[in-house]
Amino acid sequence: MIKSEEKITTTQAIVIVTNFILATGILTLPRTSVEKVKTPDVWITVILGGLIMIIAAIIMVKLSQQYPGKTFYQYSQEILGIWIGRFLSILIICYFITVSGFQVRSMAEVTNFFLLESTPLWAITMPFMWIGLYLVFGGINTIARMFEIIFPITLFFFILVLFMSFKLFEIDNLRPVLGDGITPVLKGIPATILAYTGPEIMLLLVAFMQQPSKAVKVVIIGTVIPMIFYVFLVVMVIGALSIEGVVVRTWPSIDLIRSFEMSGLIFERYESILLVIWIMQIFASFVISYYAASLGLAQLFRIKFNKIGFILLPIIYIIAMSSNNINELFKLGNMIGNSMWFLFLGLPLFLLLFTKLRGAKS
Amino acid sequence: MKKNISGKLALITLQVLLLPFLTGCWSSHEIEEVSLEIGIALDKGYLSNIDKEFEEQDGGYQKNNNITITFQTVNTKGIGNNSKGGGSSEQHSYLNVSETGDSTFQIVREIPLRRDHPIIGHHLKVIIISEELASNYSIKDLLDSYLRDNDIRPSCLVLISKGRASNALETNVIGEIPSFRLTKMVENGYRSNKILPAMPLAKLTGKIQSESSFLLQNVISADGEVKLTGAAVIKGKTNKVVGFLNEEELEGITWINGKVKGGVVKSSVKGQIIAYEIKSMKSKILPHINSGDITFEIKIETEGRLSENWVNRGKPSDNKFLREIEKSIEAEIKSLMENVVQKMQNDLEVDVAGFGNKLKIKHPKVWKEVKKDDWDVTFSKLPIKYNVEVTVADYGAVSSD
Repeated sequence: MIKSEEKITTTQAIVIVTNFILATGILTLPRTSVEKVKTPDVWITVILGGLIMIIAAIIMVKLSQQYPGKTFYQYSQEILGIWIGRFLSILIICYFITVSGFQVRSMAEVTNFFLLESTPLWAITMPFMWIGLYLVFGGINTIARMFEIIFPITLFFFILVLFMSFKLFEIDNLRPVLGDGITPVLKGIPATILAYTGPEIMLLLVAFMQQPSKAVKVVIIGTVIPMIFYVFLVVMVIGALSIEGVVVRTWPSIDLIRSFEMSGLIFERYESILLVIWIMQIFASFVISYYAASLGLAQLFRIKFNKIGFILLPIIYIIAMSSNNINELFKLGNMIGNSMWFLFLGLPLFLLLFTKLRGAKS
Repeated sequence: MKKNISGKLALITLQVLLLPFLTGCWSSHEIEEVSLEIGIALDKGYLSNIDKEFEEQDGGYQKNNNITITFQTVNTKGIGNNSKGGGSSEQHSYLNVSETGDSTFQIVREIPLRRDHPIIGHHLKVIIISEELASNYSIKDLLDSYLRDNDIRPSCLVLISKGRASNALETNVIGEIPSFRLTKMVENGYRSNKILPAMPLAKLTGKIQSESSFLLQNVISADGEVKLTGAAVIKGKTNKVVGFLNEEELEGITWINGKVKGGVVKSSVKGQIIAYEIKSMKSKILPHINSGDITFEIKIETEGRLSENWVNRGKPSDNKFLREIEKSIEAEIKSLMENVVQKMQNDLEVDVAGFGNKLKIKHPKVWKEVKKDDWDVTFSKLPIKYNVEVTVADYGAVSSD
């Protein structure tokens, strides 16, 4: 069904998962999580959120491994029949379309605010989307290879820039640990889930893997890398800005990088580097969800893949432009985070149990 | 073959059509055409003679003239052509322009009506607020537009001036830029313990949101000279200036919260001057709870050098004499702290030394209870114990006189 040259290696799969996860969350996670937790224990929340995501991802992988070489769009019809299967697939396709629209708009908002002040939103988004379309045509293998290039660059510069903010770090901002007990920590978990959207790509990715048996390893490593990064990020941001400060800042992570100047080094200001690399990450997330949606429609309705790409482009654009202000954009983000619980934790678990039980019967 | 050519043609057309999208920022302005603001001084509204003349000619809009803002920009016109510029060869490298109004943001946007180059905030380094303004308006409101701005970086420092803030943006030295001078001075904490750690907008956000009182460095000015002297006390509930700490009181604060990186303690033995140079210090505020009563204990350990000794026949090589010196410095540090605690508790009724924060960290449950009342008031009645340990590690190049 899938040509061997389209297959991806285990490393490539890890990179895809990591790149999909690291996106808008980098800039907003410190605020969204502190808003809910309200104590400096946010880093624990972020770890717990990551662990929940890993569990959900393992369930999705186990489910996909039952049907080697087939994507969710194909095997869901096998499990529950054509119509229910198609319905569920369309739900997931809608999810991926919304995610890619959300990424495009966040990218445009941040670029507009910090970099290109009076450049119209459409002029920022359109080239971005066209290049995305071009990459999607290349197929999963091309996408994976591009991700392999941007992944090390991202990690290196993010960590470097975070380390530079060490002068502002105050350990007292992170204390007391668990001063209010564990309850506020647990309350914050749903808010971290949006930052972890990404492992759901495994519903289709397992089918493309050269060694599908290693898929569990892929999701664990692929989720743990962003998790470590996120913990580091919230610790540095809260350590510098304090929890009272973080809650009132719209883009706390950029604020952190804007809060210091390094005189004497090649650059004095590092937020442009952070933003440029962040845009690459957003691009990665956008492309992979765009690809997932296109693949779904192509497999479901047996339309040529390239045609679907063109059809989806305006739809994604409309979704991206549908938020009238930044609040609606953040609300859309929360909706995506909330739909995760049903689509990628509840549903795969149900399907997995259903498959196992039916297998036991026959 | 023909198909191939038309395909190529389509590609070329597409490439040409894509060119407009590669232009980047659509709203770029050449750097020569804008003025970079580097310092801002916020003062109580006053009208200069020029402003009054403008108003006589109906040049104005509806406003109460609450705030006067002085913007300091880099003088690009003066650089390189000293002979021009109206005959005066002495050109300052900065330009100050003042504008009066009510909304800090509107005031900035009045500048384009008066100057050919609009002001942009990307390189703002320092904001100085006068005491007169900050004791009437909340700092949170005064700084709101700067915290919201997408050009102004949160690395911009905030200072309070006991006198007119705009005077701190003046200098008599040709070539010196007052805003840069101030930002460099704040970094001198490693040479003096009378300087607070820098307070950029980024850190200030947390402070003004937290409802606990805090300090901002005070800067005074006279005839083009400036001095960092003491600190302004900002009450957490209102975010307004309620008083000042002088240099010695600020010294006490830096000892208590352990923010000392360097500096000097002057004391005396047998009525003669000795000076102790701080090499390292560790301070701990320990909150104790005994059957519901809160007490604090301050533990300070410091190590340093005897850098000046006027005592006749005082031999630092003699351990007994060293011990005497240590005792005297310990007493001096203790009195510095007692002095400022007395001021905090009795005069101002605020906690700006971080006692509350330590209580919150060590006893979060107790903190939740006391937080319900005004912590500043609770704090002003709490007993505090001091424990200072000074070690004179060496005495420089002179062992006896």
